[in-house]
Amino acid sequence: MQVSVETTSPIERRVTVQVPANQVDQAVEEKLKQTAKTVKLNGFRPGSVPMSVVRQRFGKDVRNEVVSELIRQHYVSAISEKELNPAGYPSIEPTVDEAGKDLEFVATLEIFPQIELQSIDGAEVERPQADITDADVEEMIETLRKQHADWSEVEREAADGDQVRIDFQGFIDGEAFEGGSAEGHELVLGSNSFIPGFEPQLEGAGAGDEREITVNFPDDYQAEHLAGKEAVFKVKLHAVSEQQLPEINAEFTKNFGVESGDLDELKTEVRANMERELKTAIDNSVKQQVMAALKKANDITVPKSLIAQECQTVKRQAAQQFGLGEDFDVSQLPDELFEDQARDRVSVGLLLAEVVSANELDATDDEIRAYIEEFSGQYQEPQELVEHYMNDEQLKNQVKSAVLEQKAVDHLLAQATVKDVEMSYQDALQAARQQPADEEGEEEVAEQNGETA
Amino acid sequence: MNQERIFKVLLGPHMTEKAAFAAEKSNQYVFKVAADATKPEIKKAVESLFETRVAGVQVLNMKGKVKRSVRGEGRRKGYRKAYVTLAQGETLEDFTGNE
Repeated sequence: MQVSVETTSPIERRVTVQVPANQVDQAVEEKLKQTAKTVKLNGFRPGSVPMSVVRQRFGKDVRNEVVSELIRQHYVSAISEKELNPAGYPSIEPTVDEAGKDLEFVATLEIFPQIELQSIDGAEVERPQADITDADVEEMIETLRKQHADWSEVEREAADGDQVRIDFQGFIDGEAFEGGSAEGHELVLGSNSFIPGFEPQLEGAGAGDEREITVNFPDDYQAEHLAGKEAVFKVKLHAVSEQQLPEINAEFTKNFGVESGDLDELKTEVRANMERELKTAIDNSVKQQVMAALKKANDITVPKSLIAQECQTVKRQAAQQFGLGEDFDVSQLPDELFEDQARDRVSVGLLLAEVVSANELDATDDEIRAYIEEFSGQYQEPQELVEHYMNDEQLKNQVKSAVLEQKAVDHLLAQATVKDVEMSYQDALQAARQQPADEEGEEEVAEQNGETA
Repeated sequence: MNQERIFKVLLGPHMTEKAAFAAEKSNQYVFKVAADATKPEIKKAVESLFETRVAGVQVLNMKGKVKRSVRGEGRRKGYRKAYVTLAQGETLEDFTGNE
């Protein structure tokens, strides 16, 4: 076997492999003999088909089969001989494939880029610092109340924050338009779910009132044929409901899994949850900054095939995000939208892997266990979950890579300058969310992409 | 013999163990032929269709098998078979079992 490697670009290689003719022919002959033994032909007893007939009948098929098998074998051994590290699948093209001649094929493949890690010395990372105050906790409980709010019908005029049940029909230039009418629609005033200007005009109306509302569709309205137009809505109000926040009492706390019905206990619980959330948010934020810095310091060429693969993953996630269902054909989505994101993810992944191997980072079982314990806190049966993860090889490996990633980030973080920034709880969460996400923050990115799409 | 007849004479190749040996040892190729085909017709048909020279033709009628059932005896359809010997040095390359 002769192998020659051409370097066509920093990460692309052309491997030409020659396989001697006799080796190929021998393999073909072998295979033909096999076929002669097993094949069933009309007019012949099984196993008694003469070689000449077998060759005439099956020669071509057998050869094709043998050749593709040989190409696969020799491709693998050629790769290991030349110590190439291919990324993705190669494209293989046989150049000479004739009986009696040396078999020759060209494999074009991309290799993982050789990464020489540049440290991210001097990169500045902002770490949000926040304390959870009692006021924050109060606010959170208030939010919880709102989430569990009931609506009860009242005999009065609608005001901001009330929910109204309405029929409406919209007209442009005196004509009803598609999608402009509904019956029994429930609308919360001040929720801004309708066109700007619609909700305030309903304030002060009581049950049974009919009103005509004139609004302008905004110029950048999604439906183009409506954008910028003036529309008249005939609205009939059926009922006005007032929001009723649940009392903070034993029943309320029980809703959140605090059996004793003790408010203080709920508060501690809520605070613990908030702390966890805050910590994840901060960790994420720091991680993203580290990744960004790492990417900036190391400009690597990423194999196209890897990007293409990643693209598929990203697309599928995006499809899930929009609830398109399992059997949605992701190839309908244009590649261009996701390519940049996929490239970012691949390069960060490659760089992190390099950080891990360059610094010989490893995760012990204890570390893995500690990591699982940390996030198992929010589940009902933490101990069981830990055991479940530790016993399942696949899950354990997933966690292991997460731990390694964390370690790599920590390692990198040591090189960077960390600046603590004091801010309130809300601001810290907000800050963490705003940064473009990678890896862990996949969903968020998908969301953002979706909005611009 | 006209062109039309040529296409009616040969019905297809007859590929069996015996035919394979005949082809290998004595350069004879076996065809199923029309029931009323004569030796000269077969010779001409093979020569013009395969563009080869034919040394000789031997023909025989294969009788159909006698099959018995509750309804009594019956005979399956038979066919006429021709062993066509090619002139020395001639071969039929793509003589496969496809009728």
